Order: sequence, then C-alpha cells, then structure tokens
Amino acid sequence: MQSARLYGQALRLTRQPQLAADAVHDAFLQVWQRASQFDPARGRAEVWLSSLLRYRAIDILRKRSRENYGLEPADEPDTGPDPLHQLVSSADGQALRRCLDELGEGQRRVVLLAFVDGLSHSELAIRLKAPLGTVKSWVRRSLLGLRRCLES
Amino acid sequence: MSGGTSAPDDETDLLAAEYVLGTLDAADQATVGREAETDPVLEAAIRAWEDRLAPLNRLVAPVTPPPGLWPRIEASAWGGAAAARRVASAPDVERQRAATTRLIRDRNAQRRSVRLWRGAAAAGFALAAAVAGFAVLRPQAPPPPRPDLVAALLPLGQQGPIFVAQATADGALTVRPVGTPRIAPDRDLELWLLRDGETVPRPLGVLPAGGVHLAAGTVPRGGGAKILVSLEPRGGSPTGLPTGPVLYGGSI
Repeated sequence: MQSARLYGQALRLTRQPQLAADAVHDAFLQVWQRASQFDPARGRAEVWLSSLLRYRAIDILRKRSRENYGLEPADEPDTGPDPLHQLVSSADGQALRRCLDELGEGQRRVVLLAFVDGLSHSELAIRLKAPLGTVKSWVRRSLLGLRRCLES
Repeated sequence: MSGGTSAPDDETDLLAAEYVLGTLDAADQATVGREAETDPVLEAAIRAWEDRLAPLNRLVAPVTPPPGLWPRIEASAWGGAAAARRVASAPDVERQRAATTRLIRDRNAQRRSVRLWRGAAAAGFALAAAVAGFAVLRPQAPPPPRPDLVAALLPLGQQGPIFVAQATADGALTVRPVGTPRIAPDRDLELWLLRDGETVPRPLGVLPAGGVHLAAGTVPRGGGAKILVSLEPRGGSPTGLPTGPVLYGGSI
C-alpha cells in the first residue's frame, strides 16, 4: 500500500501533519505487533492496513478534540462536480457508489463526513445542526441502507 | 460475508458498522475494539464492514509523508525489538545486564547493516529501498505447528505486496506473499538471510510468487537475523550476493 495514500488519509482525519505522522507511525508498529493475527489467505492487506490507520487516527483525533474543546471540524468533503467519481475504478467501489447514490443526499453526506473526515456523532450533530439522537438514527439508517443495498 | 462465523444480530452489526465508520466516542470506540479481540462474531462483522467501506479510502488524495517519518518508524521498530527481547530474558539480574549489553550491540549492528543495504541499493539503483522491521518474540515456546517467530516484510514508500515470514522453533522458515507481487518478466525475487552481526547475507534461493517453505535450521534458534528480499535477474543473483535493490526486509 502506498505510504502517500496512508498519510493522506491520516492527514484528512487528524487535520494536522504532526498528528497524521503519529497515526502512520503507530499504525505501522501495530502491523508488526499483529502480524501473526493477519490471515494472508484473506488477501486483504490493504484493507487491514488502512483500517489500522483509521482506528489509530480516529483515536488520536477524539483524544485531541477532548483536550481542545471546540476544535474546528474539517472542511466539507470534495464538492466538485462528481466527488464520488474515484469510486468507479473498481468493482466493489462501483457497487458502493451505486448504493451511496440510492441513499439520497442527506444520508450520503453523513457517511462521507464520518468516514472521510472522521466526524463523531456529536460533531455531526453540530455540523448538520440537528439533535444528537436524530443524527445517531440517521447514521444507523444510512448503514442499514448500505448493507441492504450491497447484499442485494 | 462472515464465512464460517454465525451472522451477527442487527444491534451487533450496527455497532460494528459505527466502529468502522468511526462515529462512536473515544470510550465506546475503545470498548468495541477490545471486545472484538475475544468475540469472533463482532470481529467478523467489523471485517465485513471494513471491506464494504474500504473503497471510500480512494476519495482522499494521497499526500507525500514528511521525510522524517520513515526513519522515525524504523527507529521505533528497532527499539520495539529490544523491548520485546528484554521482556523475554531471564529474571536473573546479571544475565539481564549481559543481555542488555548484547542487545545494544546487536541493535547498533542492525542499524549499521540496514544502512549498508540501503546505501548499496541507492548507489546501484535510483530505486529507494526502505527496510523496516522488528521481531515479535514469543516469550514461551508455543507447540509446533504454531510459529514462534513472526515478521512482516514491508515495502515502505512504494506500492507493493507485504510478505509475512514465520519461523518455527526448529528454524524452519515460511515466507508467504500477501497480495500479488508484480515483477517484470525478466526478474525474480530472491530471499536472503542476514544474521545479526554479519554484514554478508546468505542466499536462500529464488522466492516464488506463491511463497516458499524452507527446512528446519534455516533460521538461527531464537531468531537474531534479518530476512531480506532483493530484485534479481531471472533465476536469481549470478554472484551469490544481492545485485539488485533490497525491496523488503524484516527481523526475525
């Protein structure tokens, strides 16, 4: 997996170069510590590595926003003419894109703000100016919709 | 999706999904991560959601990491090996002190040899070869067929597969690729063993695309060596020493 891709993800999630570097550093050390847990037959090294990185970056991000209450949430995801166009380069990406399109604008935005920009339930509530409980049920409805669509 | 594991109920599956999406608060996120280590149903549900959402990673533009990042990871990696060995050593104070002294010496030797191989690669080829790795030493000897030494051989700073190397207590070595190595048709990957304190690697033969299993005695008892993979002309190095860049490496 390209290190630039991992660092790019970490930077998008943590919003600060120093925190992004910490996340990539920690994720690589975890790769070594957990190498024996990895089942090579599953052939999902890339997913494994980027997931380890995401969990680490999100952990750093959550601890950080607790320390600096009111940390500015990330900018809106890419709002170009077709921000999801990169998904069509693979079969699983195409399926996911089709299912995100089916979700509708609001629910799609929730998923992207959470996954790509690392917004928590409470940050989503602030960003979308909606009560926390409502945001939680939007997230769950989006996820159930995605699962149903991807499995059909 | 979840293979042989029973399907999660909706509540478990949604919790797994929120964990992967990353919307839980810090405490819940940590709790789910911990529980997944002992709950195979939750673990499988998390893996399934990781697979479902993974394509979203492509929406983020790659950014070149700062130049200091890989040296820092490498430094931590060697430090980690020393810490792991220190834990594994006997409680006897004198022996521990001797072991620590030896460790410091080993680590310096490791650093030197990594520099040596990096230098060799950079000098001969424009391709930057980064080597990182550290041993995962299991303090108690596990029963055979379980490996007691494991190292992941990682390419850093470039696209490529990961190799996982496992050695059993008798020194048999298995190297398996994770993913499909893409090698030019006129090239082969060759496997090397570099014992700690030595500067010349010993050839272990061409590394086939599907991986390789080498007999007992290949790896020194208790580890203390590096496994390296170099890019060579078809059929392996003509000289008995690496002639191409060292693409992958890890300590075992």
